[in-house]
Amino acid sequence: MNTLTVGARTFELDKDGYLVDLNDWSVDVANALAAAESLALTPSHWEILELLRGFYAEFQLSPATRPLIKYTALKLGPEKGNSLHLNQLFKGTPAKLAAKLAGLPRPTNCL
Amino acid sequence: MSKSLLVISRQAPWSGPSAREALDIVLAGGAFDLPIGLLFMDDGVFQLAPHQDAKAVQQKDLGANLQALGLFGIDDVFACHHSLTARGLTHPVNAQPLSSEDISKLIDRYDQVITL
Amino acid sequence: MSTLHVVSHSPFTDSRLDSCLRICGSEDAILLCGDGAYGLRHPALQLKGVKVFVLAEDSQARNLPLPDWADSVDYPGFVQLSLDHDKVNTWL
Repeated sequence: MNTLTVGARTFELDKDGYLVDLNDWSVDVANALAAAESLALTPSHWEILELLRGFYAEFQLSPATRPLIKYTALKLGPEKGNSLHLNQLFKGTPAKLAAKLAGLPRPTNCL
Repeated sequence: MSKSLLVISRQAPWSGPSAREALDIVLAGGAFDLPIGLLFMDDGVFQLAPHQDAKAVQQKDLGANLQALGLFGIDDVFACHHSLTARGLTHPVNAQPLSSEDISKLIDRYDQVITL
Repeated sequence: MSTLHVVSHSPFTDSRLDSCLRICGSEDAILLCGDGAYGLRHPALQLKGVKVFVLAEDSQARNLPLPDWADSVDYPGFVQLSLDHDKVNTWL
């Protein structure tokens, strides 16, 4: 079984490294998940992670890439809601990686 | 040019996997920018009833998912007027009501149809 | 544009055939198979004036006589009907 250890606590991950229990998510967990992906989270990352959590709260699903771009453009403007910006932040796979770091399930419509 | 697809969703939201599967087809198609339409008819229109509580039956919130259709590029969302009125649904969420004749024309417009 | 509607549920326990008839276009046809073959005893089907086909083995198994407003097809006939229409709508 995949696990993630943050301080004294251990969290269960699925085979792709996503949190099994979405309630386990915290800022520390996000930082640890990012570190496991060799990524240091900056304010530009956090902005997208918060946006994603908002998306999930509203629609109860993880967006594929296109809806993620569309939603980001809608909420943060086109200079951030474009594939270049999101690809740079999340190593070319924004829908999958950002969902993972935001503590959301793997996007089901993203093959 | 991709073939266009009309998905007809005609099962009630919590009766089995059909409603979820129809939505998954539509969202997957939308994510790939396929020309896709979604039509609710028969008990499928119950998916459009407001203020449902998916948690009460330990299900995912289909109604919330339906709100995301626009972001997935799905703008052609319709509901059978006959099915709506037969079930006393006067305020369906985010779907354009169509008469039986208009549904017949709608099906003609698409290259393929999947009814679930 | 024409659609072949494939219906495999009995109209006496299920709304599929009634809904299909409601939205059926003038160029469309209906193929009854499985318990859908009981549609041969459904008066509304005749009234609509749409082309009706039944899968021979399913009407034979149920001892359903073929009315003069319907035609019987075998599996190659089913395939040919699928090709003759622009699309197939299977009422799953």
